[in-house]
Amino acid sequence: MIVMTLEAVPPSLRGELSRWLIEVQPGVYVGNTTALVRDLLWDKVVQHVRTGRCTQLYRAANEQGFAIRLHGDPRRTLVTLDGFQLVAVRNTRHAELQGEYDPPEDDDKL
Amino acid sequence: MTTGGNGIVWQRQNLRELPKFRDGTTYLYLEHTRLEQDGRGVRAYHPDGMLTLPAASLSVLLLGPGSSVSHEAVKALSDTGCSLLWVGEGGVRLYASGIGETRSALRLQQQARLWANPDTRLRVVRQMYTLRFPQRLPEGLTLAQIRGHEGARVRDAYARYSQAHGVRWEQRQYKQSDWTRATPINKALSAGNACVYGLAHAAILATGYSPALGFIHTGKMLSFVYDIADLYKIEVVLPIAFREAAIPGDDLERRVRTGLRDHMTNLRLLERMAADLHHLLGGDHEDPEPTAPGDLWDPGGDVQGGINHA
Repeated sequence: MIVMTLEAVPPSLRGELSRWLIEVQPGVYVGNTTALVRDLLWDKVVQHVRTGRCTQLYRAANEQGFAIRLHGDPRRTLVTLDGFQLVAVRNTRHAELQGEYDPPEDDDKL
Repeated sequence: MTTGGNGIVWQRQNLRELPKFRDGTTYLYLEHTRLEQDGRGVRAYHPDGMLTLPAASLSVLLLGPGSSVSHEAVKALSDTGCSLLWVGEGGVRLYASGIGETRSALRLQQQARLWANPDTRLRVVRQMYTLRFPQRLPEGLTLAQIRGHEGARVRDAYARYSQAHGVRWEQRQYKQSDWTRATPINKALSAGNACVYGLAHAAILATGYSPALGFIHTGKMLSFVYDIADLYKIEVVLPIAFREAAIPGDDLERRVRTGLRDHMTNLRLLERMAADLHHLLGGDHEDPEPTAPGDLWDPGGDVQGGINHA
């Protein structure tokens, strides 16, 4: 099973995606594809997304049971903590705390 | 859940919503991170950005150096049964822990009963050693003979993995004061063992036993943690530690932790830990209603508490 979301993308891209997946809500697509098709759909979306944003979630044989892909939103990045995937959001509270919680300069590796 | 006015009034946590310990995700290690509660969620301000933690499905949160937690975040984590462990850099060394998921003392009392009687204690010790030998031990061995078999098993395992991965193996060294000078394989083993200790500690707390009342190990506050971790160390840590130590490069400890996560998922380690604990200590009964008042002890059997006996 895969889930994809699209935001602020050209309308033709949404139409293109609906050929493979069901649009359960504007911009939210669900379906069942092979791993190859899933990767090709992701490449297609990333290629045509322009200034918009997209995500893809799919079943994977890891502890969480799924994997995440993000593209197009500079404020949201994917972090992998020892193999566990989480989404890191750079918001104002994070900016406030950033100086405080950045790791100190590692000088014993020099 | 009921709605009143504008906002939602959240009632006490429905315990059925929480995944049981064995179904949860293993662990998350965070450092240089501030944990806060916002709305109903637990947020971690990580150097890379704000992370929303799936706290209810998380068994144990390992907090490394540079982390801090707000009071509200601890409350939210404890409500959802996520154990907190404060650990050293890279998850090595354990400093302190919060309380686990169980509010009942029934299993702890059972553990203390088994521990206090030399006969039952010996029985549990034998069971623990038996778990380490899938091919089963010969009948009627003395404890000293069992320890001999165990020593040979450990030595053989190190020799086997050393040969399989081409990593030279001399001896196990663990000097906390001299961490950087340890050989890569020793570092990898220490980092891996620390993960298993953390997980064993969380399993013990989450199922309601005491980490101090060890059966094989004795005299330390974490004796029972060492007992439980030793059941799995060879099977869980050695393959990953030797595999990663055979690959040159930085980041050895992190690679070991990442490899361990997949390996532990494949072995269904959390599920097995909980099952083995109950098997060893015979505590496989349901928890009583957590808010009900406790009973009063009486030589003739417990008497109902929370009522006036005048």
